[in-house]
Amino acid sequence: MGAKAIAEAAVRSGLEAYFGYPITPSSEIMENISVLYGEKRYPWFKVFLQSASEIESVNMLFGAGAAGYVSMTATSGPGLSLMAEGISYAYASEVPFLIIDVNRGGPGLGNVAPEQSDISFVLNSLGHGGVKPIVLAPHTVQESMEHVHKGFELAFTYRIPVIMLTDALIVHMYDTVEWEPPYIVKPKVEWAARGRNYGPRHIINSIYLDPPELKGNKEKLLQKQKEIDKIAESECFMCYDDLDVLYIAIGISARISKEAVLKLRKKGVKAGLFRPITLSPLDKNSILKYSSHAEKIVSVEMNEGQLAQEIMRITRKDVEVLPYLGGYIPDVEEVAEAWK
Amino acid sequence: MEVKQFSSIFENGVTTYCPGCEHGLLLKFIGMALDELGITEKAIMVGSVGCSTLAYKFLNVDYVQAPHGRAPAIMSAIKLLEKDKVVFGIQGDGDALSIGIAELIHAANRGIPITVFMYNNMVFGMTGGQMAPTTPEGMKTTTTPFGRDIKQMGPPLDACKILSSFPQISYLKRVVITPKPIFTKDRVMYSSKEAMDSYKAVLNAFKTQLMEGFSFVEFIGTCNVNWKMSILDSKKYVHEVGVKVYPPALCRDAFGVEKK
Repeated sequence: MGAKAIAEAAVRSGLEAYFGYPITPSSEIMENISVLYGEKRYPWFKVFLQSASEIESVNMLFGAGAAGYVSMTATSGPGLSLMAEGISYAYASEVPFLIIDVNRGGPGLGNVAPEQSDISFVLNSLGHGGVKPIVLAPHTVQESMEHVHKGFELAFTYRIPVIMLTDALIVHMYDTVEWEPPYIVKPKVEWAARGRNYGPRHIINSIYLDPPELKGNKEKLLQKQKEIDKIAESECFMCYDDLDVLYIAIGISARISKEAVLKLRKKGVKAGLFRPITLSPLDKNSILKYSSHAEKIVSVEMNEGQLAQEIMRITRKDVEVLPYLGGYIPDVEEVAEAWK
Repeated sequence: MEVKQFSSIFENGVTTYCPGCEHGLLLKFIGMALDELGITEKAIMVGSVGCSTLAYKFLNVDYVQAPHGRAPAIMSAIKLLEKDKVVFGIQGDGDALSIGIAELIHAANRGIPITVFMYNNMVFGMTGGQMAPTTPEGMKTTTTPFGRDIKQMGPPLDACKILSSFPQISYLKRVVITPKPIFTKDRVMYSSKEAMDSYKAVLNAFKTQLMEGFSFVEFIGTCNVNWKMSILDSKKYVHEVGVKVYPPALCRDAFGVEKK
């Protein structure tokens, strides 16, 4: 199951602390991790704790990250809303951790069926004051495992919260995987607050009362964003000629759209699929390149068109939306039909 | 006279708190206690939101700035991962008992060996003197211009009473940090008992943490600026009204650190 794969990947990649609060459909990740806690082959896995709320979870991640430990949690939309405060503080104080958002139906309590309706929330300021975390978007169980490892690595390389945006379907899906972490993430953390220990003090802080100081910190974060922009990654499936239709999708929608593309190719329709692997930063160069050779762009998504908005902002071209709302999953035939 | 310089307090030793506020006194006691116990090098301070935020400018130890009310959650995580370090937090009454009461209660109930110092001045100080959950009945604040009505707002929250119900707390104490004014024929003098009690409470709280226990100390202090009182009147108010609402008490001492 996706959740079990994610749990295994996290612990094998060097997870040192897990703090979580149950919420459907993410709870299976926490349950699977709880089983691995205390196993002798993972001596680095020091703390597993069920917190009293998502607010407490995110602040415990903040504490663990501030002390330089590899930590993560899994949650879903309503929980992520509560975590926004802590993510903003972590972004400002440059504290690293990984949050897995298992997207369910929203807004409000919504339902527990899969949706992709957190895209706008995650991309366009996850918290007050202008927050831009790194966002990863796996489309298979195998890729979810890779992204957990990558998430830890990126979080500590750039000292930033990383969100892995996935959905209820991938996390509950049974799939064949073959994966071992390339190495165990063991970051160097001279900056971490672990006590002065006869050296200089460490300050993890987001308060800058004087405007010049705050301006300086914001400029530092923006400069860092320029570095982060270089890691943008995407896949363009079957994009080797001038396209009749370019599909755009992430997560489970991308996986289904790949089937539709293959179907269309058999019929002789020149179809391709553009899939952002890092949703933030978005691979602008690639989307511009592939969209410029396409007759039509169709965004397949399980929301009202949040990804399409992002793509339109970059390409300045019309993007047709094929929306699936309320927990419905894209249908291969329908997606294929949409090329006309 | 030679003044002893403490290593955890910055050299100039000056705080920017309002004149008459005892917050600076509390920070000084924390610094002195860290040095006396020899734990300055392994101390991690977690500041919360409010006047306590400024602590990092005066205490020269590692510092993590928490969101409003969330310091106990952050302290818990750091302590669980850094077991041999001393983790303490400074919170105000608004921070700890209003927005952050859930985090405080759950950290206390788990009994994770951390130390929480709560400076209770009975109002939201940093934001300009609004009502806090701890505001006594009848006190006028910027959001209770006719005085706190306990029929609508309930009686002031008593942190020690709330926390007394958690079995895993090892040290729980309330002291008054405001020096008591003593009026003589021609001048006003201040008692030093409160300062000594407060310093002892800080020391004992740290000792409890070193013995693997959760400790919480509430300091009853003034906020003369927001109470719209003179410094002398505010100190009188604490000793006439404040101590009736919040009587000093040792509510828990599981390891007997008070006697040692």
